Amino acid sequence: MDASALYALRDPLGIPAAPIIFLVLGVLTWALHIAAVHILLGASGLTLTGALNKNPHWRRLADAMIGTAKIALSVAIVLGVAPLLFVQVVYDPFWYTSNVLSAWWVIGFIVFLIIGSLALFIFYGLNHSMKSTAKTRCPGSLIAAIAFFLLVGFIMHVLSLQMLSPEKWMQWYAPNGIVDASGRTLHDYNFWRFGFFISLSVPVIGLWLIAYRRYLMGRDTEDAGYLAFIQSLSMKLIPVGGVISLALMAGWMFTLPANVAGFATGIWPASTAAILLLAVALPFALGKKLDQGFWGFVPFAFGAVALIVVAVMREMLRWTTLFGVHGYNALDYKLHMDWYSTLMFFLTFGVIGGGVLAYLLTVSWKAGQTKGMYTASPLVNRMGTIGISLLGIWILQYFVIGLWVAYGS
Amino acid sequence: MDLIGLYPTWYEPGIGSGYVVAIIATVHVLFSHTAVGAALLFTYLAYLGYRDDRPELIDFIKKYGMFLLVFSYILGSITGPGIWYSTTVGSPRGISALIHNFVWKWATEWVFFVIEVVGVYMMVYLVGKVDKATYLRIAITFGLASFATMLAIVGILSFMMEPGKASWAEKGGYLLAFYGDNTFAQLAIRSMFMLTITSVVGGIVVAGLKDPVFKTWLARRLAVLGIVTASIGMMLYPWYLSTLPAQAQIVMENRIPAFYNTAIISVLMATIAYFLFTLIKPRMMTAAVAGFATLAILILGLFPGETIRESARKPYVAGEYVYSNQVLAKDVPGMTIKSEIPTLEKVGFSHASVFWPETQREITPQNAIDVGRTLAITACSNCHSLSTTGIRPIARYFGGMTDVPRIQNYLIGALSTGNTMYMPKIPLKPKEAEALALYLASLADPTVVAKFVDEKTRAAEAEAVKAAPNKPVAVSMATPLHTGSKE
Repeated sequence: MDASALYALRDPLGIPAAPIIFLVLGVLTWALHIAAVHILLGASGLTLTGALNKNPHWRRLADAMIGTAKIALSVAIVLGVAPLLFVQVVYDPFWYTSNVLSAWWVIGFIVFLIIGSLALFIFYGLNHSMKSTAKTRCPGSLIAAIAFFLLVGFIMHVLSLQMLSPEKWMQWYAPNGIVDASGRTLHDYNFWRFGFFISLSVPVIGLWLIAYRRYLMGRDTEDAGYLAFIQSLSMKLIPVGGVISLALMAGWMFTLPANVAGFATGIWPASTAAILLLAVALPFALGKKLDQGFWGFVPFAFGAVALIVVAVMREMLRWTTLFGVHGYNALDYKLHMDWYSTLMFFLTFGVIGGGVLAYLLTVSWKAGQTKGMYTASPLVNRMGTIGISLLGIWILQYFVIGLWVAYGS
Repeated sequence: MDLIGLYPTWYEPGIGSGYVVAIIATVHVLFSHTAVGAALLFTYLAYLGYRDDRPELIDFIKKYGMFLLVFSYILGSITGPGIWYSTTVGSPRGISALIHNFVWKWATEWVFFVIEVVGVYMMVYLVGKVDKATYLRIAITFGLASFATMLAIVGILSFMMEPGKASWAEKGGYLLAFYGDNTFAQLAIRSMFMLTITSVVGGIVVAGLKDPVFKTWLARRLAVLGIVTASIGMMLYPWYLSTLPAQAQIVMENRIPAFYNTAIISVLMATIAYFLFTLIKPRMMTAAVAGFATLAILILGLFPGETIRESARKPYVAGEYVYSNQVLAKDVPGMTIKSEIPTLEKVGFSHASVFWPETQREITPQNAIDVGRTLAITACSNCHSLSTTGIRPIARYFGGMTDVPRIQNYLIGALSTGNTMYMPKIPLKPKEAEALALYLASLADPTVVAKFVDEKTRAAEAEAVKAAPNKPVAVSMATPLHTGSKE
């Protein structure tokens, strides 16, 4: 399929702000989403291991991790909406085609994710307090949840890969010249690439455990044995998972299609490998410092940065394929600048989103660190009041401007 | 090159891609409306709970919130993007029109949604762990953010029916696309019904309360909330209808199954009767009764409602310029969009479509049946099943007719001119109309394909003889007869 056909598929509406903004937001929000996915998968895996173990430390960890997995699931779904939105803005020809060609699996994605989520909640509902009992009820529900999460991840992997092969689309849509509109086939996959993204769950949950341990240390009466157990476990997960991930990434790079094979030896895979290695090495380099101040949270924060680099590499591969090979330049999308909606989003995102979430997360953090009831300080209360006021102002402007446009203009 | 941006088509022969979208959308409406209504209810209950020092109210918030974590914030969060996914595969250019007009509005809604999800977890897990004033602030934040998600989405839903202001087509821009009569009418009616739905779903949680006095108190308040909001919602319905475009009003009068309206009115009356029952006999409220009422609202109220909304905007799916078969039907000068109808009239689907088999670009008697099928998939299957069963089965519209020229005449006279209510204008070149007619005839009688090829072959031979009487004829009866592919 040549570039003129790809450009014909673009939405003639154009876009309301510079395309680079959508590309950057897409990369950043995808990185956040995949971090939540890694925590979900990692925490689910640790829960399963702990749930099938009689060791009290493992059972306590399973207890904590099922709570983490439950929240990570919500966060992964919520954060996943953003990159899904932005990919449709500048890569609509590719995303829509890929989806339609495997339509049944796209619908299946929704169904499988619902089944997996319900299975996770069933396990949670049946095993509220694993630390106080040696018995685990229905571990099969957790195994099913993990299996369905991996399945939906695989579907998403296929959709992302199919969009990179416009030259094969007609062959998939009309094999032998006869249209097959059933959408029942997953046409392309690369287990190395899929394995790489999934395997990152292991080092990421290891980094998460270091932060979890540091968080527990904020409490006065924490069990030193449990803290040592977490320390030891995380320091095993990080290097082992890191090495596996890097090996899978190497496999992915070696199996890139011939028309982008040169990408494997470029700057982006090298940078990604380097920062992943640094993320793996950082906790060991910090050593005892992990117990001091906020240092215990630094490895996870650095891991998040590493995931952004992974996301950038993924985007650069897409760019190299679609622009370099197929002549589609996402940055020359027709621009219909819309200042109101653009500014309103960034104000909402930066001021309301930032302000309100800062308040909510501060309260959550402090409440978690406080034994008994947490009473907010005047400063925190003021943050809350400002947040509410900002929400009120946003709603007010919605009606003032909306009624003026609808009835007054 | 005269290309138009038609994507591949997903043809779902069972219930049709339209109903796949409608089912997911309906389920999502139940989850999401419950979420927004419950958030406002929680804010009010948290206020009462702390003002009057009634811990049982806070405990109820925790129980209902826990239920909502799965019901609305997991299932609702999945089915929300689920609508994107289903419309992506069922109507890619329809969803694209919404995405490209409203990307920032959706991104803004996402910000509120993130706050909402964090908020609901805090509402559930910080009961008794933070001071009263802080909990109340969280509740208000949660309620406002949740309501803002509805504000952000409602103009996008309105645009599916028509642009906020008619001047959008000339001037373009987000504000004129988003805000209009229908936006506010829809907002008002949805706000009422979301509180009604919240009252019904809340009954499932109330049913499980142990304290009979508190159960009675809360069941009665939910009943009053349900009766008041359902009644106001019904009163707002004529306003909402008056904001619909004229075309939609005609479609609603002529094309919507009569029982849909009856079902919606019946379920509203039944909902009010249900609330009157729980008002008088609150202790009779059980999880089974409330669950049954929820299902009734879902199946008899929301599904017909969503289906009517889907159907009434035909032949368009978005902004009164994207046809249900994905062709851009009108110029929108404000956004520099050109209608694709002239291109189709000039070169036809077979030369304008990006996703068209190369072997079918030139139409011959031998490939006509395949071209007809590709045309039917491309231009018809979004709304019609290509068989005698399924959604609006296309074969039944021709009453078993197998006369290819007559069907061809109908296609050119009624569809290519755009003179059929509810149907998009489908420009077809004569050979395309013939190919589509052949395909439609073959649905009633597959043997017409062989006859058609045979007749065309003989006609070609006769033509060749006429043109060069002394030259041997190359075309023979050995020409393979193409019987077409099976569905």
